[in-house]
Amino acid sequence: MDNLVRAYAPRVAALALAGVSFLAVSAAEAKEITIWCWDPNFNVAIMKEAGARYTKTHPDITFNIVDFAKTDVEQKLQTGLASGTADALPDIVLIEDYGAQKYLQSFPGAFAPLSGTVDYSGFAPYKVEVMTLDGQVYGMPFDSGVTGLYYRKDYLEQAGFKPEDMQNLTWDRFIEIGQQVEAKTGKKMMGLDPNDAGLVRIIMQSAGQWYFDKEGKANITGNAALKAALETVGKIMSANIYKPAAGWSDWVGTFTSGDVATVVTGVWITGTVKAQPDQAGKWGVAPIPALSIDGATHASNLGGSSWYVLESSEEKAESIDFLNEIYGKDIDFYQKILQDRGAVGSLLAARGGAAYEAADPFFGGEKVWQNFSDWLAKVPSVNYGIFTNEADTAVTAQLPALTQGTPVDEVLKAIDAEISGQIQ
Amino acid sequence: MVFARRGGIGRYYDVNGWLFVAPALGLIALFMVYPILWSLWMSFQAGRGMMMKFVGFGNIIRLWNDPVFLKALTNTMTYFVVQVPIMIVLALILASLLNNPRLVGRGIFRTAIFLPCVTSLVAYSVLFKGMFAIDGIVNSTLQAIGIVSSPIPWLTHPFWAKTLVIIAITWRWTGYNMIFYLAALQNIDKSIYEVARIDGVPAWARFTHITIPLLKPVILFTTVISTIGTLQLFDEVYNLTEGKGGPSNATLTLSLYIYNLTFRFMPNFGYAATVSYVIVVLVAVLAFLQFFAARERDR
Repeated sequence: MDNLVRAYAPRVAALALAGVSFLAVSAAEAKEITIWCWDPNFNVAIMKEAGARYTKTHPDITFNIVDFAKTDVEQKLQTGLASGTADALPDIVLIEDYGAQKYLQSFPGAFAPLSGTVDYSGFAPYKVEVMTLDGQVYGMPFDSGVTGLYYRKDYLEQAGFKPEDMQNLTWDRFIEIGQQVEAKTGKKMMGLDPNDAGLVRIIMQSAGQWYFDKEGKANITGNAALKAALETVGKIMSANIYKPAAGWSDWVGTFTSGDVATVVTGVWITGTVKAQPDQAGKWGVAPIPALSIDGATHASNLGGSSWYVLESSEEKAESIDFLNEIYGKDIDFYQKILQDRGAVGSLLAARGGAAYEAADPFFGGEKVWQNFSDWLAKVPSVNYGIFTNEADTAVTAQLPALTQGTPVDEVLKAIDAEISGQIQ
Repeated sequence: MVFARRGGIGRYYDVNGWLFVAPALGLIALFMVYPILWSLWMSFQAGRGMMMKFVGFGNIIRLWNDPVFLKALTNTMTYFVVQVPIMIVLALILASLLNNPRLVGRGIFRTAIFLPCVTSLVAYSVLFKGMFAIDGIVNSTLQAIGIVSSPIPWLTHPFWAKTLVIIAITWRWTGYNMIFYLAALQNIDKSIYEVARIDGVPAWARFTHITIPLLKPVILFTTVISTIGTLQLFDEVYNLTEGKGGPSNATLTLSLYIYNLTFRFMPNFGYAATVSYVIVVLVAVLAFLQFFAARERDR
């Protein structure tokens, strides 16, 4: 027995020592940054690219990119923040710009301020504005949601329209074209989810207004742009030039399946459009149609989001450094995600590169990125406030009334009543 | 040293007894009593996210001026008034049909009708969403056999969306209620039916005058649990409408509104707690009314 102990003791000690040093080494080396985001064709793919770039210079950092649906990211984030336990939360989370102020104001201290580390003067000012609270800037500005009118050249050609005919449309002209497209090809002009107010938001912002004024007060009954937007959506619905969609994936299906002739939405949809290789060369991009009211433009914004670091994160310093290195400085990275995914970043220095000059074969050799870049400069700036989700719900609640012939002014009053009940 | 006394008030002072139930009591206090009291306290506060402050009855006053809450309440009560009677009657009829010992293959029928309620709520909602899509199997079947000329907008029209929710929950829960009735039917003495048959009572009268009165306690039980289930309706609506309760808030339920107030809108945990107490009160009142109605008829 004694011999046995003597024989094995050094081995056991050596083994224990090796174990301890292994643990120590791995604790110092393996740092994992957990990231929550949505959309596998866009944010998730882009974050993987960013992570791969950072790992090249920082081999000790690994990334765990978790792909949820957007509503699930928001729900999990909100639950985690409300519970006050940090264990369930990621290190970095993606937040849509409409919701940024909501999180910053209702969970003070939950997000790490990045002012001082990140040079915000290099970013589009409107993106920095949505993440500023009490003089501190939180988050890393990411993509812009500059909008465009994607159209199927083949369908429009069958209906007798050339790409020139799609430039600088008005919404009324768009509806006329839609009726002719349906008459000649049997295809609907667009997919429309009556539960989603995205189109109303696009049209409203293109004329420089939002649900809220600059002070954040509700701006509904006297809002000419919102009124015109509702009228336009009402006309599209009563002209029946749309294919109804129930929910996001259903809506995406309307154009990936080739059932509709156009898509009016943010530039981030490009990756999804291009995910259908058999439709290569059939798509073109034009500026969105304009309203016929004062302040109307052909440029607008839908969505767009930014990265936020949680104050409670154990890898806070590494997370901030990662975002700053890649999203704050890496021009080449922005070129790549633009060409691969259609991500129009908000780092101004990344605007001039070769990728913006390049022609895209998927779009028949058009220089689409140059166009989006031009339109981005023309997007009217508005204050998203903190109640966009509530206002959206109020608008979708009234869309059926609009198609049943209720006067727009009464619809606006009903929307106003619902919003004032919700914002307190 | 106090010895354990048996019987009377003495057993309340028995330390050993208390020690035995202490773990269970502790868990109940931690996971039941504390959250209930805390949510009650929360319902008197309001504010954005973590910035809550005491508002007294402010949330209750807000309920009356909140068109979305009133819409959700109306929808929930519509589901309750329309769906629960349909389901209870359907379950009763199915149960008495399948209780017939001469029916061939009744085991298969019973299983088939009970099967929906062991499927996952989410899975079946997603399946229904696909089946009732504008170019889904239901619309194409209805068009093929010539019942409708153009597809029914099940998910995008306020009326049809509400109808779809009712169809979905009826499909899911009828079999569940039927099982209770089947169990109860088998406890009814067969000689009662034999006597009735010898006396020449027709089948329908046997159903209304023997089966239903004897099943009354079970009918009351299923009605109460269906009431509670319907007032808490969430999964079906959430999954059919991507969490929005649309179109036009037509399918929004109180539970979904609580979810929206907590997770989708500016988080207001206090107001959400108030709305959840509305459900508690409604369930209590409706259950009381049902017990009361059942007792009246006994006299």
